[in-house]
Amino acid sequence: MFAIEVRDLVKVYSGGVVALNGVNLVVDEGVSHAILGPNGAGKTTLIRIITTQIKPTKGSVKVFGFDIMSQGGRVRGLIGYVPQEMSLWTELTGYENALIYAKIYGIESSKRAEVIEDVLEFMGLKEVEKRLVKTYSGGMIRRLEIAIALMCRPKLLILDEPTIGLDPRARMLVWERLLAYKKEFGSTIFFATHYMDEADKYADKVSLIDRGRIVAEGTSSELKKIYGVDKIVLRVVGDMEKARKVLQEFGFDVSISNNGEVSMAVKDPAIMLPKVIEGLYSMGIAVLEARVVEASLDDVFIKLTGKGISEEEERELIRDILSTRRMIRRGG
Amino acid sequence: MKTFESILALVEMELRRLKHDPIEIITRAIQPILWVTVFGIVMAHRVALGVQDYISFIAPGVVFQSATFMALAYGIMMVFERESGVLKKLLSSPIPRVNIVIGRSLAGAVRASTQYIIVLASAALVGAKFTSNPLLLIASYIIVIYVCTGFTAISILAASLMKTRERFMGIVGAISMPLFFASNALYPIDIMPEALKVFALLNPLTYAVDILRKLVLYNELDVLIDLLALTIFNIISLAIAVKELNKIIE
Ligand SMILES: Nc1ncnc2c1ncn2[C@@H]1O[C@H](COP(=O)(O)OP(=O)(O)OP(=O)(O)O)[C@@H](O)[C@H]1O
Ligand SMILES: [Mg+2]
Repeated sequence: MFAIEVRDLVKVYSGGVVALNGVNLVVDEGVSHAILGPNGAGKTTLIRIITTQIKPTKGSVKVFGFDIMSQGGRVRGLIGYVPQEMSLWTELTGYENALIYAKIYGIESSKRAEVIEDVLEFMGLKEVEKRLVKTYSGGMIRRLEIAIALMCRPKLLILDEPTIGLDPRARMLVWERLLAYKKEFGSTIFFATHYMDEADKYADKVSLIDRGRIVAEGTSSELKKIYGVDKIVLRVVGDMEKARKVLQEFGFDVSISNNGEVSMAVKDPAIMLPKVIEGLYSMGIAVLEARVVEASLDDVFIKLTGKGISEEEERELIRDILSTRRMIRRGG
Repeated sequence: MKTFESILALVEMELRRLKHDPIEIITRAIQPILWVTVFGIVMAHRVALGVQDYISFIAPGVVFQSATFMALAYGIMMVFERESGVLKKLLSSPIPRVNIVIGRSLAGAVRASTQYIIVLASAALVGAKFTSNPLLLIASYIIVIYVCTGFTAISILAASLMKTRERFMGIVGAISMPLFFASNALYPIDIMPEALKVFALLNPLTYAVDILRKLVLYNELDVLIDLLALTIFNIISLAIAVKELNKIIE
């Protein structure tokens, strides 16, 4: 059985926007599985359908074998979910938020205090539990939301952009806790992200999504192997143009950067590097410095879709989220 | 039992919010206090409505004017929660959707019912006479919560359909004033023009005010018809609010 099984999923919003256009996806039990894609790719839409908030236009989704349409109640009982936007009442304390959600999630009153204590401790929030959430930092807010999602020990944790807007330290802290939870309880984690490195580091498996379609799938090293290209970068003594000619005769696609580095894409850099150096040497060109640049998921994405997940876009999204958060604080 | 617990959790959430930030209760109370004190005293001398004691007469109406306005405005919170992730989280939790609507309606009603205490107390200070039977006073308080549950459900419905803050507040403004004037809150139904009478008889506020008057002014218990009318109102508004909740996040 799969933790999540998505078949031919289509979602057309009422305005006519096709957010998902035939998504097929399976998430194995016990793995950490990332869905990676740029803004508007359909990640949140997919997650909102899996968590039974909105109905699909076509196709089917099963969570541990339960159909999201006909057995929505069963599905909701199995998942812990952290939405992309903040899901806390900012005028309550951290502890009170956990308490109210514990009651909503039907955690028995005899166990409640202990469960809340446990998760707050686990996420490192014990010292701030009596503070109003509107005084929390972004990292604390995210950790509290995750703590709340862990209260009922979900078999499946669904996280929509779990570390968006957090600084690298806070992101690391969040992931260290998430992986510790996964290890302790053997749970499945399914998360959406547009941070390459997050998918690379913390996901056992990655699905790349673009414009409502899954464009590739595999472990991050498989993806890089299939679609990515590693590069060899060299610094040579003397005439770079001559080096370029020699390398081109070997059959490489060579480029020379402004700072005088010669680089070329190769399939097996570890094996090719000594040969390249030897070849150049035999033609009288000495290599000063050599390094291998491994393919990134970004390269994979560019190769598959013709565009990267750009930095600019990312900054804008974070600005959006932060301003929403501020607005919620002010308004609430 | 579990079902009940999730509804109460949402009410508890509201009470805790109130405890941390009671300001709204006070700012909302200023206007009704002016109504019963200044307006009540002035009008008492000017008009002959066939009513003995005008301040006591309008106090129940002013309670509901203020409480229903708060209930009708409660949905703004749902508009905020739609923009934040709270509603998404609630909709993906095991709590049934109908409980979300009932729980939040009751929560909004409990918040709004604080006006009952404030308005009656300030009316009493300027000479209004109410029943001294504590059971009737408590029963009235429960009636206020009951009535406001229906109005909060209407507000949640408006939030589901309107989605933006501006449009939502527009609707609330458009409903609440006419509701007040086309009811028996300020004057008895008998002296209304025919056309207004029809509106007043279809207006749930009329029945709400009627019950409250009977209980706290006249010590009367003949409230069955009023209760029936209000129950129909509550069931209809809750049912439609539940049905339309899906729209709030689509
Ligand atoms: N409620 C909605 N009504 C209409 N269109 C929507 C709605 N929600 C999302 N969309 C559209 O559907 C598409 C997919 O959006 P979605 O939020 O699923 O993307 P995403 O991958 O989560 O993006 P992001 O990284 O910005 O969160 C976008 O074009 C978006 O504008
Ligand atoms: Mg998203």
